[in-house]
Amino acid sequence: MNGVHDMGGLQGFGPIDREAQERVFALFFGGFAGGFYNIDMFRAEIERMPGHEYLRSSYYEHWLHAIEALLIQGGAVTHAELQARIAELQAAGRKEPH
Amino acid sequence: MPALPLEMVAPLLATGASTRMPNTEPARFKPGDVVIARNIHPINHTRLPRYVRGKRGTVRADNGTFSFNDTVAHGLGHQPQHVYSVRFSAQELWGPDASPLDSVYIDLFDRYLDPAP
Amino acid sequence: MSHDHDHAHGHDAPLPEVVLRVKALEALLTEKGLVDSAALDAIVDTYEKKIGPRNGAQVVARAWTDPAYKARLLADGSKAIAELGYSGVQGEDMVVVENTASVHNMVVCTLCSCYPWPTLGLPPVWYKSAPYRSRAVIDPRGVLKEFGVDIPADKEVRVWDSNAELRYFVLPERPAGSEGLSEAELIELVTRDSMIGTGLPKPVGASA
Repeated sequence: MNGVHDMGGLQGFGPIDREAQERVFALFFGGFAGGFYNIDMFRAEIERMPGHEYLRSSYYEHWLHAIEALLIQGGAVTHAELQARIAELQAAGRKEPH
Repeated sequence: MPALPLEMVAPLLATGASTRMPNTEPARFKPGDVVIARNIHPINHTRLPRYVRGKRGTVRADNGTFSFNDTVAHGLGHQPQHVYSVRFSAQELWGPDASPLDSVYIDLFDRYLDPAP
Repeated sequence: MSHDHDHAHGHDAPLPEVVLRVKALEALLTEKGLVDSAALDAIVDTYEKKIGPRNGAQVVARAWTDPAYKARLLADGSKAIAELGYSGVQGEDMVVVENTASVHNMVVCTLCSCYPWPTLGLPPVWYKSAPYRSRAVIDPRGVLKEFGVDIPADKEVRVWDSNAELRYFVLPERPAGSEGLSEAELIELVTRDSMIGTGLPKPVGASA
């Protein structure tokens, strides 16, 4: 598809910034081994991100978006479960001093 | 039982998942052929970037047969086909102000290409 | 509107929300028995400590000292690299391209971030980001200049876009005056960027 991910030749992105190691990377393999996606489905899911979100988010946020979407699609987790757990972790984080 | 237990990690990472397939499909092109990348605009997943579509290039090599990412992404089967390394001159891609010496090499599936007239 | 909030976070700095999402996902998948945390730890450990550009540097040093190996490497990259024990995910189908007096090679993945993991480890942030992905194919000399590499006007630059499943690896030119060095000493001269094509090996006598 003609999405913003197809970047060869585009101009105006500015100088090249030279930096993040994540659990996301490892989770990719978990989902892959579980048969929830192949690499092409994974890339295609990233490519479906709305353009402004794709450009605004970091590389591993792309991965996270795709893994979440494909695991929900495949029935491994539900959107509601994820939201509930995020809220729990957020609340727990607020109780702890940094 | 997780699909990826600890003891499977090392073998999985070491083996990988090549998409190469047996050469059962005929190759439409060979090294030296002049080709034109199709001006197609699939809505679905594709590995044909916009910047080469409609451009004229020369086949450097036939990399062999691979499964087709565009169809695998959508559960439409492997559709194995040859993947060619194609050279596009910088001037062909970016116009007469580009370097006359430089080039971009890109791997294109058989189905992305037409013979140049 | 929360525009200011959105822009307070740097382009490559994850929002705290992202960290929560990752933790939530891993916790749920572990509880459901779908993933094994120890396996995830092992994957992270593999690419943090075990697989990295030193692998590729060994391939380069071997090619510099052994002409028969170099010939095999250029003819069938995957097989020759596997001789040294490096193979696997994102390196199953390798093509090695050689820098010479007349040709400089550079590798990019304009569509995403494809990179030869078994020889180079995981790609640096700049390789996966919009500026490099967009400019490498249209302005390779400008990009190289920003990386401190000046290519003479009469030298050809070839940019390899890894858009299919073949992975590209640059065999840099052997530094002048390195004829007397051992393979172990040569390995120290090979930088990661020189194997991507955005850098050159260290000159002889440079400190590690």
